[in-house]
Amino acid sequence: MPNPRPRYSAAALLRARFSRNYWKPLWRRARPQPQYDVVVVGAGGHGLATAYHLARDHGYKRIAIVEKNILGYGNVARNTTIVRSNYLCPENHYFYEDSLRRYEALSRTLNYNVMYSPRGVLDLANSDDEMVVLARRGNAMRLAGIDAELLDRRGLLRFAPELDPTLPRRYEIVGGLVQRRGGTVRHDAVAWGYARAAAALGVDIIERCEVTGLSVAAGVATGVETTLGPIGAERIVFAVAGHTGAIGSMLGIPLPVETHLLQAMVSEPIKPLVGSVLIYMYGHAEVYITQSDRGGLVMGGALDGIPSYTREPVWHRLEEVVQSAVALLPQVAGIRILRHWAGTNDQTMDGSPLLDRLGYDNVFLNGGWCYGGFKAIPASGAACAQLVATGSAPDLIRAFRLSRFATGHVVDEKGAGPFPVRQ
Amino acid sequence: MSLFTCPFCGLRNLEEFAFHKTLPNVPGGVFEATFLRRDTPESSEEHWQHRYGCRAWLRVSRNPSSGDVLEVELLTGMAASDGPAGRGSAR
Repeated sequence: MPNPRPRYSAAALLRARFSRNYWKPLWRRARPQPQYDVVVVGAGGHGLATAYHLARDHGYKRIAIVEKNILGYGNVARNTTIVRSNYLCPENHYFYEDSLRRYEALSRTLNYNVMYSPRGVLDLANSDDEMVVLARRGNAMRLAGIDAELLDRRGLLRFAPELDPTLPRRYEIVGGLVQRRGGTVRHDAVAWGYARAAAALGVDIIERCEVTGLSVAAGVATGVETTLGPIGAERIVFAVAGHTGAIGSMLGIPLPVETHLLQAMVSEPIKPLVGSVLIYMYGHAEVYITQSDRGGLVMGGALDGIPSYTREPVWHRLEEVVQSAVALLPQVAGIRILRHWAGTNDQTMDGSPLLDRLGYDNVFLNGGWCYGGFKAIPASGAACAQLVATGSAPDLIRAFRLSRFATGHVVDEKGAGPFPVRQ
Repeated sequence: MSLFTCPFCGLRNLEEFAFHKTLPNVPGGVFEATFLRRDTPESSEEHWQHRYGCRAWLRVSRNPSSGDVLEVELLTGMAASDGPAGRGSAR
């Protein structure tokens, strides 16, 4: 049932100021109906975006999203909010560029402020050799029509004055590669905005409803078994990245996925210091730093490095990320960490996502997002919806089919080989 | 999961150990062993190395859902040059 919500605008804000009951819940709490056209499993970024595009672009009227926890509980709430498309492999940079373009317009598309902040994503280099590697990536991006700019020391200082070369830094920084359109997006707002827009198109969002199995009749999937009873569906989409391996187990289908932890942390608020997204790899360690609107430094690093579903971050990785942050910005050495947390990542065998049919003609998988989940949400939703509705994958995601491992067409951005922990 | 028992060194901090890989658990040939995994939330069979300790190679069973280490035994027949590589990163 369509569920019109007030459209947000300056006039609406003014009305809200003088109205006592203007602010309503953004989406309905739905109870499951017995039968749907499409059931999307997982109310995270990808599930919500897929359902939204199925309803908006493909005219599906009866769509349900079932979520075992609360909406936006998983990785859409746990990432470091960075959006960028500075990839080397064509399959990746075209896909993520599509996503970044959609992010640029997302506030208008959803009529919900997702606070896209194109503050620039800056990859840093310690040596001339690393500059060559960055230049290669930048050239690949520019050939694809994506903005990339190589900065020397002077350009770097103009763009990121916090990298003051007179500070006692562990290693000298000689330059960087900046994608100015990259930046950050308010992560929760993406989930809430998609949920509101999808609910307005009549999508049922059913929280606290865990899928326990797939109903199959005569080799065709007919719905899902859930903790709130069976739900019939003509098509089923699993968008549960972080638990895709568990879906494979449930269906008895081995997948090229391992589940790993990735942690992030935020410091106490400080005055504006970091104006862009800083990405810094040196030797064995890595850190990426942004400063939130509240002033906290949001930091992340490499995977914890151990297969795990616990969402309990490993302590010594926290130490490593903080050490890397101080190696980059000596001036933040005295500040304190407020919180740190972890999310479970689908780590695939080539570091690229999985968007394909899964086992049955009418069951689809949207997962395997590794590091790229949050920045992929808008493109993933649109492309996955097209895959579900038409039965064939759009060009943008054809490279991410499951059969690529058997045919040798892996999309291995780093050239790391079939080791999920290294992706 | 902050402690690990090395057969030589006893109870040591997790930080001294490096995870290498999960062991293939899907029947079949080279393709299955290389690329496919059956997700088993209660148990994971892995190769580790006591990298910043005695450098012994270990076969470890863990429960990745609780983080408990179930069993650690010495692994034989593996060259040290197959050492653990770096962990994943955003690139």
